[in-house]
Amino acid sequence: MKKISTLTLHNLKKAKGQFISFGVFICLTAFIINIALVLAFQTFNAYDSLFDQLGAADINFIIPEIQDYDDLLTEVEEMDGVSFVEKHGGVFTTATVREFAGSDFDMNTVFYSLDEERTLNLLDVTNYSGEGGNSVYIPLYMRELGGFTEGGSITYSIDGEEHTYNIGGIVSEMQYGNYGTGMIGGYLPGTLYEDFAEEYSNNVIVEYSLKISDTADLSEMKNTITEKLREKGIALMSINDKDTSKQTRTMVCTLLIVIFLALAAIILVVSIFLSNFRIRSAIEGELAQMGVLKAVGYTSGLIIASTIMPYILVGVIATVIGIVLSYSVLPSVAGVLAIQSGFSYTPEFDIMALLIVILTLTCAILLFSYLSAGKIHKLEPINAIRGITGDESAGQNILLFIVSFGIMVLLSFAGTLLYNVNIKPDNFMNTLSEEIPSVIFTAEDDKLTELEELLQTDSRVKLVLEYASVPVSYEDGSLTAFVCEDFSKVTNDICYEGRSPENENEIAVGNAISDSYPIGSIMTLTVGDKSADYRVTGYIQSVNNAGSVCQLTREGYEKIGESINSVNVYLYDKIAGEFINEYEENHDTLIKSSVNYEQLNENGQMMYTGIVSVIVVILFVISVLMVLLVMYVIINSMISRRKQEFGIYKAIGYTNGQLTIKTALNFIPVVAVASVISAVAGLWYLPAMNNTIFSMIGAIKNHFEVAVWILIVFAVVFTAVAFVISVLLSAPIKKITAYSLLKD
Amino acid sequence: MSKETVISAKHLKKAFGKGDSIQVIYSDLNIDIYKGDFTVIMGSSGAGKSTLMYSLSGMDKPDGGEIFFDGTDITKLNNDKLAVFRRKECGFVFQQIYLIDKMNLMDNVITAGVLTSKDKEDIKYRAKELFSLVNIPETTWKKTSSQISGGEAQRAGIVRAVINSPNVLFADEPTGALNSANSAAVLDVFSSLHKKEQSIVMVTHDKKSALRGNRIIYIKDGKIYGECDLGAYEQDDAGRTEKLDKFIKEMGW
Repeated sequence: MKKISTLTLHNLKKAKGQFISFGVFICLTAFIINIALVLAFQTFNAYDSLFDQLGAADINFIIPEIQDYDDLLTEVEEMDGVSFVEKHGGVFTTATVREFAGSDFDMNTVFYSLDEERTLNLLDVTNYSGEGGNSVYIPLYMRELGGFTEGGSITYSIDGEEHTYNIGGIVSEMQYGNYGTGMIGGYLPGTLYEDFAEEYSNNVIVEYSLKISDTADLSEMKNTITEKLREKGIALMSINDKDTSKQTRTMVCTLLIVIFLALAAIILVVSIFLSNFRIRSAIEGELAQMGVLKAVGYTSGLIIASTIMPYILVGVIATVIGIVLSYSVLPSVAGVLAIQSGFSYTPEFDIMALLIVILTLTCAILLFSYLSAGKIHKLEPINAIRGITGDESAGQNILLFIVSFGIMVLLSFAGTLLYNVNIKPDNFMNTLSEEIPSVIFTAEDDKLTELEELLQTDSRVKLVLEYASVPVSYEDGSLTAFVCEDFSKVTNDICYEGRSPENENEIAVGNAISDSYPIGSIMTLTVGDKSADYRVTGYIQSVNNAGSVCQLTREGYEKIGESINSVNVYLYDKIAGEFINEYEENHDTLIKSSVNYEQLNENGQMMYTGIVSVIVVILFVISVLMVLLVMYVIINSMISRRKQEFGIYKAIGYTNGQLTIKTALNFIPVVAVASVISAVAGLWYLPAMNNTIFSMIGAIKNHFEVAVWILIVFAVVFTAVAFVISVLLSAPIKKITAYSLLKD
Repeated sequence: MSKETVISAKHLKKAFGKGDSIQVIYSDLNIDIYKGDFTVIMGSSGAGKSTLMYSLSGMDKPDGGEIFFDGTDITKLNNDKLAVFRRKECGFVFQQIYLIDKMNLMDNVITAGVLTSKDKEDIKYRAKELFSLVNIPETTWKKTSSQISGGEAQRAGIVRAVINSPNVLFADEPTGALNSANSAAVLDVFSSLHKKEQSIVMVTHDKKSALRGNRIIYIKDGKIYGECDLGAYEQDDAGRTEKLDKFIKEMGW
């Protein structure tokens, strides 16, 4: 070590700028990887920890109280694998939550008593001392996404009756804390709950919460329960398990981790290529000096060590800085995630993440810088002194090509996200949602046809479609069924394989159960005491319902359920609010209720686009920074390597301007070709990237458009920016004089 | 008294290129270098002077033959062992000097010194002595090669070459890139080192440089074409100059 300390220090000092740029890249990489790892390690752990802390059940199922019987508890307790069972009472409602993020939002809401004794599914309630008055306590999700605050009020509209409560506090719980599970909780003080339960006595439910033994299989247990209840003729209103809930509530976190890791991988690859470029340039530029070092007795190993040691030192220091910096933004990132996950935690220092980041980056830098410097082994001292390297420098153009290509991949990905989220947000929402009408009207009994005829004569209406989301049961639990008069008319085709149902005996099933139901197989659905068989024709996706969905034709659903009574209305313009007001005023005999879906959709967009916009901004900033740093490294290397050549050009009369342009033009063609090829190749790799990333959250089919014009614009702008930056960074050429050439 | 042989090369072969463009430099060359001698290798351009010197010093490998350096056949050593051999046994002075850019003179010397000594202070002490010997003042030690004259740079190069007290100091046209004043100063350093019994092998085609040596070897057609013993160097020794002139004339210079 002592033998190379002087040389190492010298190598570090003489290319300070290059090492700073390398350090910035590594710092950025460490920053992003550490965020991803801390989120990966702590979000899921925080979830598990809260799960344990609140004694959350492994499985919860809900049945109507009227169908519950005394021995059911014992029967469930005696099932193999069940270690503990507890019953809770509740009131199941389909409530319209007024002003949820500025709009009315229909939500399956289960109301519970805060005063009920619990061993399982404990409630962590803020500001509740047993005296709640007219207060409801809401899940964190309602506060974060719905915009409700403690001390404010909330109105639930249930069966046409408005219930307005003060918001007494926030409840942390693991069961219904996110509407992705299809249900949300509402918690009332004991006496208030009792009055409420009395008012909605038909809606009173019993919730069975189960703890199962470590050896028991969760999904097998769910199937056994479902089968048992089916045999007993008991309606299973809902069944959920801890794994599905966790997956739903950590969906955006998973997406963020995947994007961050992909981003970090691209930056790491670019920085490794850059360090490779720099090392190879240094070897070529300092060939004679390396020959001299060999002459005075340095072994290849010592020279290589002194060449790569600065990269290791800078890499380790930059990694530590990046990790430290990441902790300044992690609380904010966790806060953004709480909007979707419905639970919050404060990220803490994570030694495991730190070790993984340091080890990964150090090993990557060590390996690739060693491989880059490996050619020093082959240098014969006398040949090195005479300037004979034994290979061509064409490799540098290849490196430049790869780096430019990599940056363009990043820009294209960011640009495509931006285009599909901000310019064409329907593409993004269609990927995450199902049908997106402007308005949903529920007709008064027997008034659906009349309402439809009226709407069809309205010139502002583009399409009227009988469509409804209704719960149905199948042998393993419950699903949300999308029922439609004609799926060929839907505006968002969520079928990603096979086709939507066309006949009354056909069904398309969601991705959550697609493995159990191959296309062509038969599935039995039940509503109440009616069941019917359907042949599976295809697979559909639904991020919101975690894939637990199906599609039925109107006639198909009517075999087991009542006639659907609602229509989707698609308007030409964004006038849903005034449209609803007008219809509710003028046609109140036809309309039972209405939903401003346009507003709801915009609210949904707000949540997701907020998160995605943050990602896009980060990607753009990183891309611009990378372009700047890459150009700096390349131009600096080029100038120092070709200093003599520039001196000669100056001696024979070239001006600074001519040499600057000449320098830029030396590599701009490579950048331009790489950018254009990357832009064109983007037509292939961007859909693949988007598919991979979005399939992780259940959006197997994404509606993203890859706008080739955007990619071409990016390629042109990238090349132009590279050119401008190169001209600016070529300033040191001015300092090279013909005299300094002679002196050197 | 017979001289002690420090390098003994036998049946050396060296060629460059392949196939039709092969250029044979030497095919069966034998040479001995003696301890304490200032051996000067002369010859026309392309005769293979530098190639021979670099083969003898382990910087380049001959295609055939043996080179015994203090009894060790260095042709059998691998690259790393050759590097260790060079750091202990050889010092090099190049025509283009090749001090490490942006590194000051002292650090250039230390960079070589640390290879054989663990004591940095000791290296610095020896470096200071040597800088004094070659007339480089203390104010210059912290300067880089671009801040000093070519002559100073070459003298610093000599300090770097001898910091590890090499068995043999090899010099390849050390005054080739210098003006006459700087050349004289550099050659004076070589002479003073020789007086201290430093073995030196120098390649040159400069008569003034050659006059500093005591043994002149002329290479031609891949062989030792002739050899001349000039005796110890004395300034303004007309007899030595005449002897060298006569010798190189005989060699067809």
